[in-house]
Amino acid sequence: MAAEPKLSHTAAMILQAIHTGDGYGFSVMEMTGLPSGTVYPAIRRLERDGLIRSQWERQSIADAGQRPPRKYYKLTRPGQATLEASERRYPLLAKLARMEVEQS
Amino acid sequence: MRLHLAILRSAAWLVPDERRAEWLAEWSAELWHVRQCGERRTMGFCLGSFRDAFWLRRNSPPEAQPRPRLESPARCLGLLGVAVAVCVLFALRFPGPDFRFHSPGLPLPPIWQALLVMLFLALLGLPVLVATTSLRLGEYPASRCGWRWVFFACKIALVLPLVFLGALDLWPIAGPAMRAYCMAVGYVIAFRWALIDQRQRCPECLRLLAHPARIGRITETFLQWYGTELACPKGHGLLHVPETPAISLPTQRWVHLDRSWSGLFL
Repeated sequence: MAAEPKLSHTAAMILQAIHTGDGYGFSVMEMTGLPSGTVYPAIRRLERDGLIRSQWERQSIADAGQRPPRKYYKLTRPGQATLEASERRYPLLAKLARMEVEQS
Repeated sequence: MRLHLAILRSAAWLVPDERRAEWLAEWSAELWHVRQCGERRTMGFCLGSFRDAFWLRRNSPPEAQPRPRLESPARCLGLLGVAVAVCVLFALRFPGPDFRFHSPGLPLPPIWQALLVMLFLALLGLPVLVATTSLRLGEYPASRCGWRWVFFACKIALVLPLVFLGALDLWPIAGPAMRAYCMAVGYVIAFRWALIDQRQRCPECLRLLAHPARIGRITETFLQWYGTELACPKGHGLLHVPETPAISLPTQRWVHLDRSWSGLFL
């Protein structure tokens, strides 16, 4: 029997921001208001725990935009289950995400 | 831009070799985008890279981390002994102006006075150690712990003079007050290392454990545990280290493997 997954509020916010936003580190910083020194280690931890996975942007896409390619993060299936559990645990999380989407 | 890239490259030295190039590429790309949003936040963004790099350094597998060859207990104690001998020789060859511990008011020979100062400064570090480090060494079968405690006592006995004499040897570059601070901080670091090193050793042969493997999932911590499993290179057993305390595994636990398992470790 699997227990209900539990994340800290900060980790849940970051997971929510990856799910709702553009999925790269700086967008998570923008959405959550957290500093880089908090966001990136948390992203590494989520990736290590199999809740998110990373993928580099294709060079051709970056070249077309005349910018360096960036690394994008996406939720895995366990990550989505964890996010759903976190939304039940932290009801304001989903509201925060909706506000961010409306503002952008 | 050069300064920001220099900060990122400095932080990159903390990242394990095999991940450094990718880590730097990610941070450099993100820096480019942060700069598009304005210079104001760039410095804070770059300084955050140190925390990320430290995290990667701390959470990379032990094989990826450069460390002195301390696998065997004899080599560990030998290396500490050599370090103590070097500090003693340096202290005797180049004694500082206040190296002699002699207070006429105390009816003790100078060597005892020096030992008292050393123990006093080591005791000063203990509250900080307790506040910053878990003192629990884990669950081990009581019958297999004898040499473990002897080894731990030897390490403490060697780091005590090592830190004391090492700090005294700093006299050309540091004043008495600075050396006292160095000793107190040095004792916290040394005791912390001794505890962490002790937790990572096989209780039977006292060798450093190897082959770390991730076990379980973060989402399944109710009846199962989630963390790292380490194995004794000689096949004496497995150490289960939980990432977070679980009902089934509140602290790290040693699992002894009998001789029937020895074929797996040949």
